[in-house]
Amino acid sequence: MRLVVLTPDQEYFDGDVSSVKVPGTSGQFEILEHHAPIVSALLKGEVRLITSDGEKRFQIEKGFIEVLNNEVSLLVQGLSE
Amino acid sequence: MANLKEVRERISSVKSTQQITKAMKMVSAAKLRKAQDAITQMRPYADQLHRMLVNILSNLEGEANTRFGIAREITSPAIVVVTSNRGLCGAFNTNVVKQAIQVIKNHQDAYDAGNLSILCIGKKGYDGLKNKFPNAKFILDYIDLFADLSFDKVSNVSQYLMDAFNKEDFDVIEVCYGRFKNPAVQFPETDQFLPVPKLEKTLGDNSHKADYIFEPDKETLLEHLIPSILQTKFQKYLLDTHASEHGARMTAMDKATENAEDMLKELKISYNKARQEAITSELSEIVGGAAALEG
Repeated sequence: MRLVVLTPDQEYFDGDVSSVKVPGTSGQFEILEHHAPIVSALLKGEVRLITSDGEKRFQIEKGFIEVLNNEVSLLVQGLSE
Repeated sequence: MANLKEVRERISSVKSTQQITKAMKMVSAAKLRKAQDAITQMRPYADQLHRMLVNILSNLEGEANTRFGIAREITSPAIVVVTSNRGLCGAFNTNVVKQAIQVIKNHQDAYDAGNLSILCIGKKGYDGLKNKFPNAKFILDYIDLFADLSFDKVSNVSQYLMDAFNKEDFDVIEVCYGRFKNPAVQFPETDQFLPVPKLEKTLGDNSHKADYIFEPDKETLLEHLIPSILQTKFQKYLLDTHASEHGARMTAMDKATENAEDMLKELKISYNKARQEAITSELSEIVGGAAALEG
């Protein structure tokens, strides 16, 4: 599935991933291929992506995630590696 | 007739001024490009946030009410005036200040009661308003914001405004800023920052009506989403003003360089005239002298 990670200052990531794990407001959850459409607010915590070249982790302050038609958009603030 | 030396001095001083204006134009052009890039970079984020809002609204039943949308009776308004820190950019700052004066006049009652606050971002706005409205409360904590326009710094200000609105320190917050259209065109604009104008549900009926799962629920999500949207909006005011400032300065400096060019042309003509005159009179003196000798 395609993932786009956007911050107010830049486009941080755009590419194919097989899994995205995010800190949701009611607990951490993972998005896999063909996830049902969802919109969720995110809290401070760690985001983990699995791409074809391995794992990628970064910290966020807060954000939102939207999944629709196998496309994930992740809007985050306060992103740090 | 101006004498030769005088004209020569004026030519050299105009030339050096022209060099300065030319350099300032170049600097502004470079900064303008950067400022425009910042606006473009924020756009995908802002658009996506807006799309999410539309999604939520179109799935929401009943009224979309948040604490940011409560319209109270206006007793203590706040005006945010966004101008540049430096001058030499044509009428740009004056226009924004004029706009702000207009807005303040709309809140005359609150001003007379001493309840009007003005938050200045950029020195020129404060310079232009402090003498005209001695009765207003000036908030100058963020006057130097333009030194660093990163999202985190700017969201401090928007957070401060939102908190003040929720604590009912301010009942309405209006922002006067320089809207950026293109490098040659900027215009002052006033926007109501808070309370948020009623969220239109009708803007939500398009193809987005998928069957979403909302986490934790639509109302809480909206409570999270609105502050982010407001922060983005506030960031845009600043980025717009920043780009407008450089656009205005570029245009102003371009005009100044052109004017200097015209002036140089005129000065050169009068310099040549003066030179010609000097030569003619010298020649006639020599001829006269030689004639006298031959006698």
